[in-house]
Amino acid sequence: MKRLCNVYPLLFSLCLQLFIGFPADGQDSAGKSLLVDLSYHSLNNSVVYLSVHAKTKENGKFQPVGGARFRLYLDKDSAACFAGNAVTDTKGSAMSFLPPSLKNQWNSAATHTFIAVSDAAGAFNPSRTEASVVKAHLEIDTGQGKTIIAKIVELKNGEWAPVKAIEIKVAIKRSGGDLAVGDKESYTTDSTGTISAEFHRDGIPGDKSGQLTLVAKVEDNDTYGNLRVEKSEPWGTDLILTDTFDQRSLWAARFKTPLWLLLMEYSIFLSVWSVVVYLVIQIRKIIKAGR
Amino acid sequence: MENSNDNDAITLDLLPTRFGRWGKIWTFILLLLCAIGAYAYFLQLKNGLVVTDMGDYVSWGIYISNFVFFVAISLVGSLITAVLRLANVHWSTPLTRIAEIIAVSAIIFASLIIIVDMGRPERFLSLLLHGRLQSPIIWDVIVISTYFVLSLLLLYFPLLPDLKILIRVNAGNHSRLNKLYRFLGSFWKGNPEQVRLSEKAINIMCITIIPVAFCIHTVTSWLFATTYRPGWDSTNFGAYFISGAFLVGAGAVVVAMFVFRKAYHLEKYITELHFDKMGRVLVMLALLYLYFNINEYLVPAFKMRKPESAHLLDLFAGEFAPLFWFAILIGMLIPIGILLFKEGRKPLPMFVAGLMVVVGAWFKRYLIVTPTLLHPFLPMQDVPGRYHHYFPSWQEWAIAMGSLAGALLVITFLSRIFPIIPIQETITEQHEKAV
Repeated sequence: MKRLCNVYPLLFSLCLQLFIGFPADGQDSAGKSLLVDLSYHSLNNSVVYLSVHAKTKENGKFQPVGGARFRLYLDKDSAACFAGNAVTDTKGSAMSFLPPSLKNQWNSAATHTFIAVSDAAGAFNPSRTEASVVKAHLEIDTGQGKTIIAKIVELKNGEWAPVKAIEIKVAIKRSGGDLAVGDKESYTTDSTGTISAEFHRDGIPGDKSGQLTLVAKVEDNDTYGNLRVEKSEPWGTDLILTDTFDQRSLWAARFKTPLWLLLMEYSIFLSVWSVVVYLVIQIRKIIKAGR
Repeated sequence: MENSNDNDAITLDLLPTRFGRWGKIWTFILLLLCAIGAYAYFLQLKNGLVVTDMGDYVSWGIYISNFVFFVAISLVGSLITAVLRLANVHWSTPLTRIAEIIAVSAIIFASLIIIVDMGRPERFLSLLLHGRLQSPIIWDVIVISTYFVLSLLLLYFPLLPDLKILIRVNAGNHSRLNKLYRFLGSFWKGNPEQVRLSEKAINIMCITIIPVAFCIHTVTSWLFATTYRPGWDSTNFGAYFISGAFLVGAGAVVVAMFVFRKAYHLEKYITELHFDKMGRVLVMLALLYLYFNINEYLVPAFKMRKPESAHLLDLFAGEFAPLFWFAILIGMLIPIGILLFKEGRKPLPMFVAGLMVVVGAWFKRYLIVTPTLLHPFLPMQDVPGRYHHYFPSWQEWAIAMGSLAGALLVITFLSRIFPIIPIQETITEQHEKAV
């Protein structure tokens, strides 16, 4: 009897839950979950921006979500900390720069948290994503014999301190992406937060004066986010552009016909039509001969 | 005295005559087809090319097939008149006028049908004013205009002595036709100086028209061959087109020979010998065209490069297979089978073979133009289902048939106005034979 008494409350609570439903889980399962990736980016230690990537899982596969609206905040999701809006494109990506109005707040601490909030929209449930970063600087310099030196420092107790065991990639900026300067994919910083990479891309075309843009970058670091610095060096070969635009060619505009083609066409045309003219003259002669 | 009687008899036999009952029915049917074609073209002008079945992929359909067909058939003028004349072949004399008339009518409609294919025909002048000399399309415009002028001259010069006869026979007649004869040839007296000038002009014209004729069809073939597409990307296309053009032109002459012979009772002038000779020419040209066809299809089929394979398989065993094998059989193999034997070179089997060649050639042009356009290099994705197929709309059929009827109408009218067999040349040849 004592055991039965213990079972009744359990049964009662189960029936009650069935009657009123499972409010939290039930509502969530009605819509799709938005999987949000929020990243921090620093370019040349001066430009700071956030990137948002939204995706969802459909039929066991991740699909990008376009048109998802996010409100971005720095440290707190209040109006004073509002960093901007971001709407994802068809690839599910969006970006937003940190506004100047948050400069003081940004400078006030070494560690910050970024917040991305989206409301329920369409088939998707509301979401909230946070990403914390420790402020860090990445520096790039060149040494003797085409050596690239990169150093990472973090803000610690008001001082910039070197960080060891961080993976840094060193590359050359190209139009289709970044090309590694050597055979190694990345370099690990030593106790001084420094790496050194040899430049092995001799003969690579630079700009008109042979300038190459060297890049040092930290990607997707859990503590420091994405850092990137660039430096220009005249290590490439001079780019000589052979611009064929507006020159005489088979594919140019009508007044840019190649001379050899013009010569051929006019010769054929004139020789054939001179015969036609000759024949017309013959008709005139025949008419005269008949008078 | 006897000569004069013979001349009068020949003149009487070869003078153009009024249409009989069948001639009128024939002309009425052609006029009706032209009227239907004109109405269909009015609808196309009014509504745009949307009335056709052409689209983003098949942008050259039945109109361009028809254009290539007309260009091909127009080459016959240069074959029968120029080539055989320069080769000093005399048996072709009764056939020259037929060939010249076919050439003129075909080149007129080749020019017209290309304008029909234009979405904005009122901008045709822009093609001449702003055309790019680098484009084979402009080369085609130039060479077609040139060939048209030369074909007219090639028809006109040998006609001058006949015009004198026509004016003489119709003396005192004030009909419009006689006014036309007087306008065209009243100055021709047949004096030695005129004959000398005319002979010289005809010889120069015969020499000139052969390369121009080769150019017209080579350039037409380059409209396709300069495009990197399966089925068109061939260095062989110029020769392939010219051989096909000579074949269809000769086929058309054979058909016209038979019809005119029957209609105007010309058995004395277009004899079985002419059919036999033309049969030999036709079978040689059919074998030549067959050889080029084997080159065009067997070599790519042997390699079966991926972009080519879909196109070739569609021709050999796919959607276009019935049409393809029909064109090969009717246009080449069966006529060759008929014409290789002496009995096959009699008038009626020759007429059947000639008709087969012409019909087969028309479908062959369609097979050259359309299937390639349905096999682009990039896959056809996210497009309406109808883009994967092409079947001409009734407006396209009506315009195409109207243009064919128009060409036949020009031939019919020209044969009504001018002697279908050169009278003066026939008289001269009879005298030479007698001597």
